[in-house]
Amino acid sequence: MIRQFGWNEFELLVFAARWTIILAIIAFVGGGIGGLIVALLRTSDSRVARIATIVFIRVFQGTPLLMQLFLAYFGMTIFGFNVNPLIAAMIALTAHASAYLAEIWRGCIEAVPRGQTEAATALGLHYFARMRYIVLPQAARIAVPPTVGFLVQLLKETSLTSIIGFVELTRQGQIITSVTFRPFLVFGIVAAIYFVMCWPLSLVAHRMERGLARATSR
Amino acid sequence: MNPFKKAAAILLAFGVIVGVGTTTANADVLQDIQSRGTLKVGMLVDFPPYGLMNEQNQPDGYDADVAKLLAKDMGIKLQLVPVTGPNRIPYLLSGQVDVLVASLGITPERAKSVEFSEPYAAITIAVYGNDNVNVAKPEDLAGKTIAVARASTQDTAVTKVAPPSATIRRFDSDAAALQALISGQVPLIGCSNVCYLTIQKLAAGKYNKKFELSSQVQGIAVKPGEQKLLARINQFIDKVKANGELDKINQKWLNEPMPAILKKK
Repeated sequence: MIRQFGWNEFELLVFAARWTIILAIIAFVGGGIGGLIVALLRTSDSRVARIATIVFIRVFQGTPLLMQLFLAYFGMTIFGFNVNPLIAAMIALTAHASAYLAEIWRGCIEAVPRGQTEAATALGLHYFARMRYIVLPQAARIAVPPTVGFLVQLLKETSLTSIIGFVELTRQGQIITSVTFRPFLVFGIVAAIYFVMCWPLSLVAHRMERGLARATSR
Repeated sequence: MNPFKKAAAILLAFGVIVGVGTTTANADVLQDIQSRGTLKVGMLVDFPPYGLMNEQNQPDGYDADVAKLLAKDMGIKLQLVPVTGPNRIPYLLSGQVDVLVASLGITPERAKSVEFSEPYAAITIAVYGNDNVNVAKPEDLAGKTIAVARASTQDTAVTKVAPPSATIRRFDSDAAALQALISGQVPLIGCSNVCYLTIQKLAAGKYNKKFELSSQVQGIAVKPGEQKLLARINQFIDKVKANGELDKINQKWLNEPMPAILKKK
């Protein structure tokens, strides 16, 4: 039953990385939009919005992503909704990423001195203009390193979706190991492919950081 | 237990509780399958030779062949769904698959959450050894040396039947015990038929089976209460056992005839 590790197996691994990329993009986009909304509500003046977002963040930070994926897929089926795995992954990854990004960005928004908001209000700017032109650009600069750190981690966490049937990079590595009996080689290649995906993210982050620093320096 | 396994176990338990609670009142799955025209079968893909991914990246192996025969016998299309050890029972109980042909060993604990068909496969533990060593029953082990993996099922079984004058050499794994046999340090080994396949790959024609120690049988699993579907599957299993098709699958994947334990009713 032992199979040689050849080009065919290597291609299967590279091909499986497409799911890792698709799932990561879903998580980044969904989490980015969701996280911004939650972060803004979390820092708003409305007490109801603040409490609701705190509950959301506590629930999704306090439970494992594996459990969230499991419940989104198997849980909803049991209650009669026939969800496909991609929708389930979309829901769970978006909720998970939103909760974490919201907390990261809340910290960044609150790090912008209160005086900035007060000065903007004094100039007659309403909420959206205040956020859009004064607070968020300053928050964005300090937000880049922790955000990218989280996204890199999230990309690797997409391997948990194998519990609901995705054959992504890590799972494909396990399957190929079971027929080739070459774990060091297979997982070495898997690690290298993850690195190739994560490194450009870090490079882009570095460049963005410098760009933002230039834009806000006087 | 590593954190992943722990989480998976908790999830499994949860899935079982919720699953059992809500599925008993369910409609007839056999009817659903027939009106849909497709049988959704969950199988492992990382347990060769029972379940694996072939070079074309398609599910293959002993289980896949049994599933193909089952769908053919029912006259409907087959959809193979790759599952993993921890998530296979939730897949079944939540209705994502109709049946499991997933090398699920029949145990009393599992029989509480799923219903098993007649066994369709068996992993046999036996004593194998050099062709020129004359051993046919446990008493013949007297004065001989036999290798086993420490604390494995085969260790327990060999220890129980071997006479006191036999020397049992315990190794850390099947792989190490196998290495000892092939390098000639020991003439005999206690291991599973799957492990024996590897022995044949590495050193063909030098070793044969001496006698069987025990067997773990595997069944096709359905949701609890699906008696009609279960009856249909049992009818299929009886048929392929009788007409030799299951024997062919054993020959193809395990390189040996269908184990005797499967013939018993």
